[in-house]
Amino acid sequence: MGYVAARGGTEAIAAAEELVCRSRLQAGASWLELDQLTERLRYLNDRVMGEGGLWAPLLAARAIRQAEGDVIEAAHLLRAHRSTLPRLCELIPADADELRPLRRIVPAFREVPGPQLLGRTLDYTGRLLDLGDEDQARAAAAAATAAAAARHPGDDPDEYDGATEPPFPERLLDVLRRTDLAVDRRRGDDPEPTDISQVAVRPGIGRSAVLSVMARAETGALVNLWYRNILGPDNHLHEVTLGEVRHGELPIRVSHPRTGNPVLIGHLRATEVEAIEDLDGADEDRTRFDVGYGLVAGHNERKAIAMANLDIALHRDRSDSGLEQAVLMTTDGLDASGFLEHLKLPHYVTFRSMIERKQAMRTDRARNERKGRRQHTAPAVAPAAPATQPAAVAVGEVTP
Amino acid sequence: MTVLDPTVSPVALLAADTSSRELLDEFSKREIRRAILTAVAVPGYQVPFASREMPVARGWGSGGLQITLALVGPEDTVKVIDQGEDAGVNAANLRRLIADTTGVDTTTVAGEATIVQTRHRVPEDELGDDQILVLQVPVPEPLRGVERNMTELRRMHAEGDYARMWVSLYEDLVRNGVVTQTTGYPCLVGGRYVMATTPIPRWDIPKLHRSAHLSLFGAGREKRIYAVPPHTDVEPLTFDDVPFEVERTEGAGCHRCRAGRPDSGVESFLVEIPSTDEGRWVCSDTDWCNRRLASATVTR
Amino acid sequence: MTPALRVDGLGKIYGPGTAADVAGTGPGFNRVVSPTSGGIVAAWDVSFEVGPGEALGVIGESGSGKSTVMRCICGDEDPTTGSIRLASVDGGDTDLRTLSAARRRALRVDRLAVVYQDPAEGLDLRLSAGGNVAERLTAAGWRNFGRIRERASELMLRTDVPLDRMDDPVREFSGGMRQRVQLAKALSNNPPVVLLDEPTTGLDASVAASVLDLIRDLLEELGVAAVVVSHDFSVIEMLTQRVVVMHHGRIVEAGLTDQLLEDPQHPYSQRLVGAARG
Repeated sequence: MGYVAARGGTEAIAAAEELVCRSRLQAGASWLELDQLTERLRYLNDRVMGEGGLWAPLLAARAIRQAEGDVIEAAHLLRAHRSTLPRLCELIPADADELRPLRRIVPAFREVPGPQLLGRTLDYTGRLLDLGDEDQARAAAAAATAAAAARHPGDDPDEYDGATEPPFPERLLDVLRRTDLAVDRRRGDDPEPTDISQVAVRPGIGRSAVLSVMARAETGALVNLWYRNILGPDNHLHEVTLGEVRHGELPIRVSHPRTGNPVLIGHLRATEVEAIEDLDGADEDRTRFDVGYGLVAGHNERKAIAMANLDIALHRDRSDSGLEQAVLMTTDGLDASGFLEHLKLPHYVTFRSMIERKQAMRTDRARNERKGRRQHTAPAVAPAAPATQPAAVAVGEVTP
Repeated sequence: MTVLDPTVSPVALLAADTSSRELLDEFSKREIRRAILTAVAVPGYQVPFASREMPVARGWGSGGLQITLALVGPEDTVKVIDQGEDAGVNAANLRRLIADTTGVDTTTVAGEATIVQTRHRVPEDELGDDQILVLQVPVPEPLRGVERNMTELRRMHAEGDYARMWVSLYEDLVRNGVVTQTTGYPCLVGGRYVMATTPIPRWDIPKLHRSAHLSLFGAGREKRIYAVPPHTDVEPLTFDDVPFEVERTEGAGCHRCRAGRPDSGVESFLVEIPSTDEGRWVCSDTDWCNRRLASATVTR
Repeated sequence: MTPALRVDGLGKIYGPGTAADVAGTGPGFNRVVSPTSGGIVAAWDVSFEVGPGEALGVIGESGSGKSTVMRCICGDEDPTTGSIRLASVDGGDTDLRTLSAARRRALRVDRLAVVYQDPAEGLDLRLSAGGNVAERLTAAGWRNFGRIRERASELMLRTDVPLDRMDDPVREFSGGMRQRVQLAKALSNNPPVVLLDEPTTGLDASVAASVLDLIRDLLEELGVAAVVVSHDFSVIEMLTQRVVVMHHGRIVEAGLTDQLLEDPQHPYSQRLVGAARG
């Protein structure tokens, strides 16, 4: 029998696909190299890895190029690729205390244990559109790249060197814990982190799953959920104080298949945030602060901050408000976009059925108008009776 | 198809797998098959499963695709339709993916398929006990219209507490004179669970009731699989004195194969062609219509 | 004869504490907060029976524990101790507290009905008046649209809800009319036991009086066992034959309603009656 090509659709989608591929190639510009994406569009690459749930800078760059810069599409490519890979082993949970900081700030205190390390951040760069000469910029970039390569052959230009070798700065949270000012949110009921690619999450699942969902969430969705809880109708959040904002390299280890010893297999860059909130509820420990945690792959501070803040809101909220459901079910970029875009699919069977019901409604209405009845076809109701109706109406055997 | 061998180390498996074009690894397929078995054992119950990301967007048939990929073997023949049509763009895309990544045979003839993957329709041909119907489901929760909270929804299903569903039907009748629920009509399966019938038209619902074939429903985005095993009751929720109505238009008939016309003696689900003359209708199941047309030509 | 409802040794503590921490609370100590645990002993050692066709009043001021008792009986709250039995459940042999949450909820469909002070608690205000009645009837297994319509119309007539409003959303109704719909819904499938929690509180005096008349007539007609919780002696006097007086979570006096009103024994009852008589 073999492959049967149904006429029409197959040709159309093949032609559309061909057009996409051809246009991507003949874009009228030089080929986009992967390192241009990983090195020059760092935030974009990081964001796609974070939302794609796969740390693979070169694959992410490929995905972005293939998706022509559509972030969700690129994240989808990464995740779909991941689905085809066998699962070889599980990582040993990474210890965030081993995160080697490229940047670290503590807005809560002026003097903190360890440095306030501004590092590479756009926070204080003037938001002035650079209208400088292109040729000069190109030349300057080439010179700077060459100079850096000469200084540190083979090194990542933004890698931090020297000042923060282990032990890394103590966390502000450790100080708060030592002085008994923070409630302990570490829980014993969720010892093995849930792998959200292996289970269907739903409300009531452990905190590790909720954190994982946020770590993989679409950045805009999480920021929006945060903002609508601050300003909008949901109102579960208060502004937090940030105890710790770190961006750095996190060592990743697996157990050796023979010896069982931990083996370092690489690093991934991550952004970590600890948020501190005042506890003020009547049934809360008002002598202490609450703590929320955010950790996302790559450099994505706004997502990590939103996550830490929502983490607090989630464990403070014991009502049935739906916040947990909102975080778990509505922040995934692929889910939301996929469902939104499915509206472009043919719907003519459903629409036919809808038209049929509209017509049925009209027919029924016309029939009733002819009979001079009320709109609904209630089978004979008792005729309107005087207001004081004898008791016999209500009592009596009732049977389904 | 890769066969799982417990004596082979995962590393060896990876090495062996690099040439594979399959969209799901064997572990994932096994997990999906487990969910399917649970779904068959508890008709109408939505079984959570770890839905994988597929090369199609969520909401575009990723659930049905995962079921089909977890089930197909070398002997299978697959038919894929969308809106009843084999040639629809989404059907063509899914068929291409399934065929290219598994090497399985495809067909447009319902009777030749062992697996029929569909969106929004059940084929007009009656399926047999050696066939599986895989339905792509965008929204698996039949009660979402009356309740949003997932914890409460679980309770309602667990306790068979469907009063609010009945009330919504009552209110619909009172307000509109007819039940206005269109496609995806809620049905009680096996007398126990209320199930969302994807959005197939009401016309197709009797084809699920006590059918010889197995129906599997996959919702990829919402990560649920549910099933109607063969010979299981599928009863549309309706009051005893308000008959369940399927889509019918008086006087309408297919302009190609004449199905639906009084003299044809056969009916099918028709869709309208708004751009042509008034009263132009055509079968939604294109292959069924083509075959009718062909046999009529031969007879003539 | 088996009482329709029987409550034995019911107790409810909010917050920390167990039976051991009840000492030092109650009318004798003029407090409900446990001196040992700090928990609130909202109700303790509450026992009574209600026969078929009988209405029992539970009276006390706010905070006396009367609403807690009602919420424990209907299953909105889980009591700390005690037992609750219905004649309609295993002939009164089974303590409802031993049933699963699902079975307890199911009892609310046909064995027990509650009329809340706030109609929004007992009704879905988005639904029509008839739809609210239909909710209880369909939950009880009614599947005939015509009969549901018929029954809902009967109930609207009986509870003085104009028939031409039956298909309007309850949200558009006045407070008194909402309360009538709540009564119609609660009584729609003749449950053997009805609990009424301050059913007329919050209504205008004239509206309250007519709703009260309606409740009295309905209780007489239907022969249900009723528990009427109220802070208002005029309500208790009109609706009930027997009454228990609650104070600081305990029953301080029980008796026939007319006798207790004539000749209250406990100083707290005397004060309540005195206040009611003005």
